[in-house]
Formats: sequence, C-alpha cells, structure tokens
Amino acid sequence: MATRTRTPRQVRQEKAEIAVNYPLDWLEERSGLVGGVRYFLFRKVPSDTNWFHTLGSATLTAFLVQAATGVILAMYYKPDPNQAYESVQHITNDVTLGWLVRGMHKWGASVFIILMFLHMGRVFLFGAYKYPRELNWIVGVLLLACGMLEGFTGYLLPWDQTSYWATVVGININGTAPFVGSFLSQILRGGAEINGDTIARFYAIHMLLLPGAIFALIGLHLYLIVRLGVTSPPWSKEAAGRERPPEPPSNGRAGLIRPGPRRGISR
Amino acid sequence: MSTRPTERPDVSPDGDRSGVMTPLEERRAEFKRYKEDVKERGKPFYPFAMFHDTVMSLVVVCVIVALACIWKFTAHESADSSGWLGPLYKDKADPGTTSFVPRPDWYFYFLFYLLRIFKWPESVLLGTVGIPTIALILLLAVPFIDTRRERRLTRRPVALVAAILVVLSMGVLTYKGATAQEAIASELKAKVPTWIKDQNLIANSKQVRGLPPGSNPQKLVVRGVTIFSQVGCLTCHTYLGSGSSNLGAPNLSAEGAKQKGVQFQINHLQCPACVNPGSPMPSFAALGNDNLLALATFLESSKGKQ
Repeated sequence: MATRTRTPRQVRQEKAEIAVNYPLDWLEERSGLVGGVRYFLFRKVPSDTNWFHTLGSATLTAFLVQAATGVILAMYYKPDPNQAYESVQHITNDVTLGWLVRGMHKWGASVFIILMFLHMGRVFLFGAYKYPRELNWIVGVLLLACGMLEGFTGYLLPWDQTSYWATVVGININGTAPFVGSFLSQILRGGAEINGDTIARFYAIHMLLLPGAIFALIGLHLYLIVRLGVTSPPWSKEAAGRERPPEPPSNGRAGLIRPGPRRGISR
Repeated sequence: MSTRPTERPDVSPDGDRSGVMTPLEERRAEFKRYKEDVKERGKPFYPFAMFHDTVMSLVVVCVIVALACIWKFTAHESADSSGWLGPLYKDKADPGTTSFVPRPDWYFYFLFYLLRIFKWPESVLLGTVGIPTIALILLLAVPFIDTRRERRLTRRPVALVAAILVVLSMGVLTYKGATAQEAIASELKAKVPTWIKDQNLIANSKQVRGLPPGSNPQKLVVRGVTIFSQVGCLTCHTYLGSGSSNLGAPNLSAEGAKQKGVQFQINHLQCPACVNPGSPMPSFAALGNDNLLALATFLESSKGKQ
C-alpha cells in the first residue's frame, strides 16, 4: 500500500539511505560492532549523573594524549646513554613543534596522575566501589599503580642528572625489599649498574609493557562500567537504587484501589 | 500473576517477605532496584552524559597544551634558564659526578620524604617497601573492608576520617618532600671543626695504620675531612647527623671502628662496585691518589662520637 503512494523523490531518498547505510550494515552483519557502539552510546545512565562523573573520561583523555604524544616522541627519541640526552634536545629545539609534543607528554603525565587520584577520590566519596563494583575498584587501583610506574620509568629517559640520580634512588628503594630486593634491582638495572641496558629496559617497559597493560585494564574497566552502570551521587533524591516505600502486600488483588505491580516483570 | 518471587536460589522459598534480609540479599535487591530505576528514569548516555564528558576532555587537553606552552615560553633561549615550570632540560646524566640532588617527579615526593623519616638502616625498610606495600594492599582491599551498603558520606564517618587523613598526610609528605633542602657544601664545610673536635680526629689519625711512610696523619685527616664535606659524600651518607639518607647509604660516623684499613677505603672509593658488588655508589677515582689517601685516613679516624 505504502509503496504505491511513494513519490519518486521518496524512492530516491530511500535508495540513498540504503547506500549510505550499506557499509554500516555490512559491518554490523559481520561483527555486531555497530550494535555494540549503539548500545554503548544509547545505554541509560542514572538521570542525576553530574560533572563529578566526568573525571574518569577526563583521565582516559589524558592517557590518550600521553599515548599519542608518546608515539611521536618515540619517532625521534634514541634510548642510548650517548644519544638520549641529545635526542631530547633535538626534539625540543629542532623538530617542528617538538617542544609542544614533549611538553604535552611531560606535563600530561602530571595531569594524568592528578586526574587518576581525583577520579579515585570521587569513587571513594561516592561509595561507588561497593557491591557489585568491587572488581572495578581493583582494576582502577591496578591502573593507578601502572600509571605511577609509567611516571617512574619515563623519568629516566631524558637522561639528565635529576632523572639519572632519581632512578638510582628508585632502584635502591626496590633493592631494599626483603628476599627479592637485590634480584629486582638487578632486573631493573639490567646488570650491576645503570647504563645503556637500563635505559633500553626502562624504554621498553615505558612504551610497550605498561601501556599495553593500561590499555587492557582500561578496556576491562570500561566493560565493567557499561555492564554495572555508574552510581548516582549518594546525596541525590533521585538516586537510582534508593530504598522505596514499602509496597503493599502482593497477595491482594490488583485492581481498583491498589495499583498493579509497579514494575513490569516481563523483562 | 506477578508476585515478586525472588529470583535467587539462595533465598529461602518459604517467602518470608517481612523478614530480615541477609546483607548479601539486601545488596542484590538494591542493585536490582538500581537497574530498574536506570531503565525507567535514566537518561541516555548520548548526548547527555557524553556532552559533559566531551567538555571535560577538551578542558583537559587545553590544560595540557597550556602547561606545555607556559613551560616553553617562560624558559626560552638558553637551555638552563628556568621558567615558571622549570628548565627545559638539566645537565646531562653523569654517573661519575660527585655532587647532585636526586629528586623524583613531584608525585613521588611523598615516597621520597618517607625515606627521610625512616633512617637507614634500622627502619628504612618501612619507608621504602613497608608502608607503600601496606598502603597498596589497603587500597586494593577497600571494597572488602567496607561492605556496608551505605553510600552517604555523613553516615560513613570512618571512611570520611580515613579519607581526610590520607589526603592530609599525602599533602604534608608531598609538601615536605618539595621543600626538603639538600645539605649544601658550604653549610657542611662549616661543620668541619666540630667534627674534628667531636670525633677526636687528630688523635685518632695517629693510630691509623697502613699510611705510606713519611706521611703526616694530622695533615691528611684535616684535608680528608674537608674533602669529605665538599665532594658530595653527604648527599647519600650521613655523618654525625648531617647529610641525607635518601639513597639508603650507610652512616659513616663510625666507619673507622670497623678497622677495614686505609687500602680498603682507597680501593672502595676508586671502584665501589668492585669491592662491594652491586653497590650503586659512584667512583671517586677522579679525586686523585693524594685526595683519596686523605679521605681514607679521615674515614679510618672516624670512630664514632665519644
């Protein structure tokens, strides 16, 4: 019926729509990714989420800035005790906008750490680590630890006096650990003293091992957030999951006076 | 008929609706209510929450770019001119250096300062590994320590006080770490006469064995103590309460009491890792043999405060 009443214009429009949607449909049919993204975007969140809830995504943004600037720095940086310092100078002085990329990486690290702590503080104050979100708190603490280790390993790479001697302190701190201490500091140094092996080792940990771990943990973190939902602010009158006034006994007949079951059980 | 039967197998089926729920049942019921509330009254993530997230992310990127620009443009031209956010770069790493100030990035200042509180060697383990490990374990255990459903802060006094104490102590430690002054050579040099007196160095030096024939122990020890105060030994070691134990290096006040001998001290100063495998101490061979002999004499004369 409807087909008969369509104007040529409408037919053209529909054809165009199909053509535009074709790649998405193709992708959806083979991967289900479009549905996944749609679910992610249009999932419901509590109506009273506010600016405090943006700290997590802000931390993610800071990490992505670190990842992007880190990739660019890796194109110019040389993890070698004879060239590291000079390559950082080269990035700062000669490479187009190199100072900006290095500056963003250097200061982005501080912003990332601050935001991780603020986000953790928000989750703690909101009591958002409670059932059933315990696991996500643990993943978050692991992310914090990885982030701090990124700071520690990245600090050596400019190979200046401060970074060198701070790393000596840091490795000595590990060295005092009972039983594993000397073993641990040997591994970190890659030998008896800090040299070219140490710098290559810290570089690999800094740009391969830890970022990989952080990406994986962020994936898990986000999966758990989507699965479990974010908590309402605890002070909110509208808070999702609040205690409700006691419901009338369910053995009465639903009808004129007593309303039927409040929530559809059909789900 | 929907009679809200429990969907959980672990809830007793005799349907005691007015009865007390176990804490686990209460938590499950709350989460079920949460899911229902969000489904009924929630807002879609896009565009509402995502708008906030996008604005905040843009702010973050702008702050990072601004910091990079401030750092660059207040410190331009000469490499070591310090801008508002510090110099663009410091001197190149020199493992053979004898004066340096080990300083981590600011977010490790709290750890850095813990090392000053717990002195080598009796309690240093607490500051290096003990307290950070305990803190990490406690942090991981937070959801298992606090299992109540209550989320309102005013009804969580323990959590509130704990949070305030943690923030305060981290703040104080970071501040103290940031403002901690390293001992500078001129201050230390002023202590040389006191050290000579307190340690009885002149008298002790006459008992030092193994000096080359014809050398004057008194002159050597005075020269040694002066070098000691100036070449940076006290950035890692402590001596009669001066110096710093940041690097966990031993107190040298009673080094001579160990009777290791002048030759051992010289060998050790020339190549610490050869004598003491794994030692992170840099080589002081660059000082030259005469100076090393003086330093060794001084160390052997230091028998601890009497």
